[in-house]
Amino acid sequence: MEISHKEENGIVFLAFNGRLDGSSATEAEQMIKSILEGENNRLLFDFADLEYLSSAGLRVVLGAAKEIKRKDGKFALCALNAYVKEVFEVSGFGAIIPIADSVEAGIDEVKK
Amino acid sequence: MPENSREPESLLLVDDNPTNLQVLYQTLEASGCKLLVAKNGETALSIAQKASPDLILLDIMMPGIDGFEVCRRLKADPATAGIPVIFLSALTDTKDKVQGLQLGAVDYVSKPFQPDEVNARVDTHLTIHRLKREVEEKKDALEDELEAASDVQRRLLPKNLPEIEGLRLAVHYETSLYAGGDYYDVAKIADNQWGFLVADAEGHSAPAAVMMAMTCALFRSYPHPPAEPGKLLYFLNEHMCKVADPSFVTALYVVYDAGSRTLKIARAGHPPPMIYRSAEKKAIEYKCGGVFPLGIDAYEQVPVTEAELHPGDRILMYTDGITERFNTDRETYGEERLLRQLEAGGDLRPQKLLTAIVQNVNAFAGGRPADDDQALLLAIVE
Repeated sequence: MEISHKEENGIVFLAFNGRLDGSSATEAEQMIKSILEGENNRLLFDFADLEYLSSAGLRVVLGAAKEIKRKDGKFALCALNAYVKEVFEVSGFGAIIPIADSVEAGIDEVKK
Repeated sequence: MPENSREPESLLLVDDNPTNLQVLYQTLEASGCKLLVAKNGETALSIAQKASPDLILLDIMMPGIDGFEVCRRLKADPATAGIPVIFLSALTDTKDKVQGLQLGAVDYVSKPFQPDEVNARVDTHLTIHRLKREVEEKKDALEDELEAASDVQRRLLPKNLPEIEGLRLAVHYETSLYAGGDYYDVAKIADNQWGFLVADAEGHSAPAAVMMAMTCALFRSYPHPPAEPGKLLYFLNEHMCKVADPSFVTALYVVYDAGSRTLKIARAGHPPPMIYRSAEKKAIEYKCGGVFPLGIDAYEQVPVTEAELHPGDRILMYTDGITERFNTDRETYGEERLLRQLEAGGDLRPQKLLTAIVQNVNAFAGGRPADDDQALLLAIVE
């Protein structure tokens, strides 16, 4: 699992590459926590290269969503592959976390 | 154990030459360790078995059994295999040192030795040995606790599945690390109705086990007959929200009316049930709407989906430890394989069909152990 991180126009982008599961969840949680320690409250997860997401991965996404909500910010996921998208649909998480088809649509979502 | 109550560590010194043995004894006298001595290999083995010293300093060239053979026998006996051995020898050939280390010795000191060096090495290896033993003791204690938690947890599951007129049941439950986050339960409701719950606390081992126990306690303390699946999940969620953060529990709750053979299904983040239609000889994932998992946020409304079953139909409720079981190529077992298994096997009894499914999942996984808990609840209409 690799997570790359950049900030542009007040939006924090995290691009996930690989598998977000029990073995990578803790590392991802710590990284997100440290990024959100500052003023940042607009967060976009780019899942274009995320191959697999387990329930531990859902917990990571949920944790980020809650933290952003606490900071009165905006959070979205974008560019999910079919498998990961289905995980969000079946688990019902799609109802509480905005999901955009493309990175551009994701940017629009967190700019609102 | 507090530091000061520990017994002094014991060293066994082995050398056939009385002068060498005496020098070694004097070298280590100030270490505070209890010193045992042996003048040949046979005596060394016998003392090692009886006294279990913490470290053995072993000469190689001795009449009778030599030091290499003593080391080999110590390592072959489970009672003495864990005792670290340091060879002390006038043999300085690299080949001898390598042979000594390959036999399982932790170190090799050439004679004539420097007393300070012997003391330093003994001290290092006693420390390593002590730490290793402490880690093992803690690991054992932790495993005992996990096993105790697992025992308690197993007692939370139904002891037996009920006899239901016209419906045969079977269940499979397996945890990946002693205690687990998966849970199933069956509730008797009036008027020949039955409630089936399958839930999965995120994660596994101890934290998930606590969430699983919470779910169980809440389900059994529901203040009404659990005949309305939407209301039941609403109730569970309301209480889980107070404790689950940042974790969550997925749940599938199905009420079966044995008289009308109808189902009412509600789902919180959990995979939908699979239904096999006997008339079509086909199994499908039964599409039903749902809400996100328990313990995250309040629900507005929990949708309920209805279904009708006919004789020979099968319904399978499961946790994603089954469909997300990995094989050695890191592929998942998936829903398709599970659907095909549910279609197989003509007139099987549920327990037989379930056993076949579990065997198929295990065969798919190959040598790769499960890294999540797995639960399956199967019902077949007669």
